[in-house]
Amino acid sequence: MGEAWGQMWDYLGSDAAWSGRNGLPSLLWAHLQLSLAALVLATIVALPPAILLGHVRRGALLAVSVVNIGRAVPSFAVIALLLPFSLRWGFGLGFWPTLVALVLLAIPPIFTNTYTGVRDVPAEAVEAARGMGMQPGELVRKVEVPVALPLILAGLRVSAVQIVATATLGALVGYRCLGTPIVAGFTKSDKGSLLAAAILVAVVALLVDGLFALSQRWLVPWRSARSRPVDNPEPEGPTP
Amino acid sequence: MRAQVAHVLAADEPFVRWSWVEDHLDDIRADAIEHVQLTALAVGIGFALAMAMALVAVRWRWTYGILAGFCAVLYSIPSVALFGILVPITGLGIVPAEIALVGYTLLILLRNIVAGIDGVPAHVREAADGMGYEPWRRVLRIDLPLALPAIIAGLRIATVTTVGLVTVASLVGKGGFGNLINDGLGRDFSTPVVVGTVLSVALAVALDIVFVVIERWTTPWARQEGGPRDTRLDPGAPVHTPLPVTITTQANPVAAAAAGAAGTARASGVGDG
Amino acid sequence: MRRQHKAVLAASLALGLLAAACGGDDDDGDDDAGGRDGPAISIGAQDFGESAILAEIYGQALEAEGFEVRQQGLGGFRELLFDTFEAGDINLAPEYVASELEFLNGGAGEATGDVDETLAKLEPLLEERGLVAFEPADAVDTNSFVVTQETADELGLETLSDLAEKGQGLTLGAPQDCEENAFCLPGLERVYGLDLSDNFTPLEAGVIPTSLKEGAIDVALLFSTDGRIAEEGWVLLEDDQGMLAADNVVPVATQELVDAYGDDLAEVLNEVSAALTTEDLIELNRRYDIDKEDADDIAADWLRENDLD
Repeated sequence: MGEAWGQMWDYLGSDAAWSGRNGLPSLLWAHLQLSLAALVLATIVALPPAILLGHVRRGALLAVSVVNIGRAVPSFAVIALLLPFSLRWGFGLGFWPTLVALVLLAIPPIFTNTYTGVRDVPAEAVEAARGMGMQPGELVRKVEVPVALPLILAGLRVSAVQIVATATLGALVGYRCLGTPIVAGFTKSDKGSLLAAAILVAVVALLVDGLFALSQRWLVPWRSARSRPVDNPEPEGPTP
Repeated sequence: MRAQVAHVLAADEPFVRWSWVEDHLDDIRADAIEHVQLTALAVGIGFALAMAMALVAVRWRWTYGILAGFCAVLYSIPSVALFGILVPITGLGIVPAEIALVGYTLLILLRNIVAGIDGVPAHVREAADGMGYEPWRRVLRIDLPLALPAIIAGLRIATVTTVGLVTVASLVGKGGFGNLINDGLGRDFSTPVVVGTVLSVALAVALDIVFVVIERWTTPWARQEGGPRDTRLDPGAPVHTPLPVTITTQANPVAAAAAGAAGTARASGVGDG
Repeated sequence: MRRQHKAVLAASLALGLLAAACGGDDDDGDDDAGGRDGPAISIGAQDFGESAILAEIYGQALEAEGFEVRQQGLGGFRELLFDTFEAGDINLAPEYVASELEFLNGGAGEATGDVDETLAKLEPLLEERGLVAFEPADAVDTNSFVVTQETADELGLETLSDLAEKGQGLTLGAPQDCEENAFCLPGLERVYGLDLSDNFTPLEAGVIPTSLKEGAIDVALLFSTDGRIAEEGWVLLEDDQGMLAADNVVPVATQELVDAYGDDLAEVLNEVSAALTTEDLIELNRRYDIDKEDADDIAADWLRENDLD
């Protein structure tokens, strides 16, 4: 194990790690591009139906099923099964099949959290808004979504982190990203690049996590993060 | 339907070759057993470790950050990379598989157990202390039981997560249904891939249902969504049936245990026998 | 209520520990006495079809002679081979002479097209690790560069020299380690002066055939015995300048195993190796990759056809 660390430092000190197509910056950029695309796409797909269903307070079974299935589907199997179709329909290797698999992966947390958040807006608040004469559209926009925001953000956060981590699979089907040195390192005795890339993925995942955590506090300033645990289902830590 | 799919594939390989499935039922059964064993083992060990860490974190608050941080780091290392690092040290087989699987359960379980214990209302604790409970006994007899919903929610998530992850462990030869997937991927054979994927998902769903039943059984006051809400201790706090709001991924489970606190019911009945 | 909770908690913990105990008693590599007086034989197979089939062939042949045999998959970890030998997890493995040599000498390029010469260089390196090679088979499986019939016709490709001359713009799909494998990109450059590294797409082995078929890559790196080459009518570019070396199949075992069984072991293994041809490998692979038969069935059939069961 100690040897691997040494190899990693050697690798990081070398030119190969920082320049060209196989350099970490290039791989990182490709990785981030894929991750961002997947997150945006998943959000576009999942958010509207989730808000709608939450608003009408229907479809709990669907929400649960979506999560259960999404949770347990092996992503690489999905990518490999999609590949022939991707090729045949002209989408090529690498980016597109991985993107689809990542989007499928990311939809469940966004969907379920949004659904739960919107649905669990306190009945009193909804009544009050209706009483004030709000139309359904206004109700959703001005009351339900803002109140549900912490949960929605929590869902996005979970998805984002998972996407970043799983995007490494793209390397297996020809997408050059941080997964590439990891997979390559499997069969090499020099684990330096593997370790460096793996740690980089972990760091990026944690950074993304932290970014969302910050945005949760930012965008929801009217609620202290600790006042009502049910609004902030993300346990940051024990209340001091 | 199958004819349509075959046409789309434009080869004479059907999506699922049922004769192959029939011939390999024994292998599939062996994989199923392996899959369940690996999952149970990982969650069992993970739970024991997480519980130990949680008790430490609750007693000595400052350690929580470190422990949670450690688990979070473990969590974010892609499993593929983790195996690549472990295998030269541990060899193949159950050891690296379980190291990785257990590692991935820790964050979820730790967070949920701690969140559950923290969710015990302060005045309940004070009351218990006032009644003369020593700290440890209080934790064991008051806090943990009240934290049960959160703990079970965490176990639920950890279990389903692990089921998904076991398939990746096929890289080290212990993959349960992942062995099927791996086999198929290696030779362009969709049948075992589909069978392995479907069974893996089915197992996850089945275990999830088991946990739903356990949750309802142990927390009957949380059963009714919109039903009688106990507001004795926390007026106005809605009671949630724990919905699973975290998921996992195949290659890298990174999920915050959001359902932990969402599943924490505002408890009542601390004094009930 | 409290008691019920405690009970559930206790039950879950107990279940966890029980699962731990149950999962614990796995098949560790204990030294069963073999069918003969000696250690059980544990064969290491890599995660591609041919390796599994060869492991089964040697394994079943040994079993027929009364040895106790176990198959041990090595997953995707090639360099683990030697670690597992050392750790005692395996004591026999089907290998390939030239690739083995290049792996052990760090890609020094010592292997040649002559199997005896290459073997002679390999043996000392194996000895250092307490390993012994038996007689190699005539059957050869090297890396091969494959294009579709269309591409071959379009550009007039028959040999790797042709590729070097006319194929600079083509994309190559190969496993990740191609960039360092002496018989892949470095070899192409060294012997043919062909640098495809800019057009190289690293792919997992299982998706390479599909990619070639669907035109996502122009040139595929496949094993020369891959059954799909003939099946799909693909063109295997000839290695006219001898970059690829003698990758004959050769069983490798630990010195201990050899000491335990001596000539008996050698006899069985060599008999099998003597009967194994390259055409056989192609057919065996075809049954595995295309007919999707199981390795052990394929092996059993081959042994029967060659009167070795």
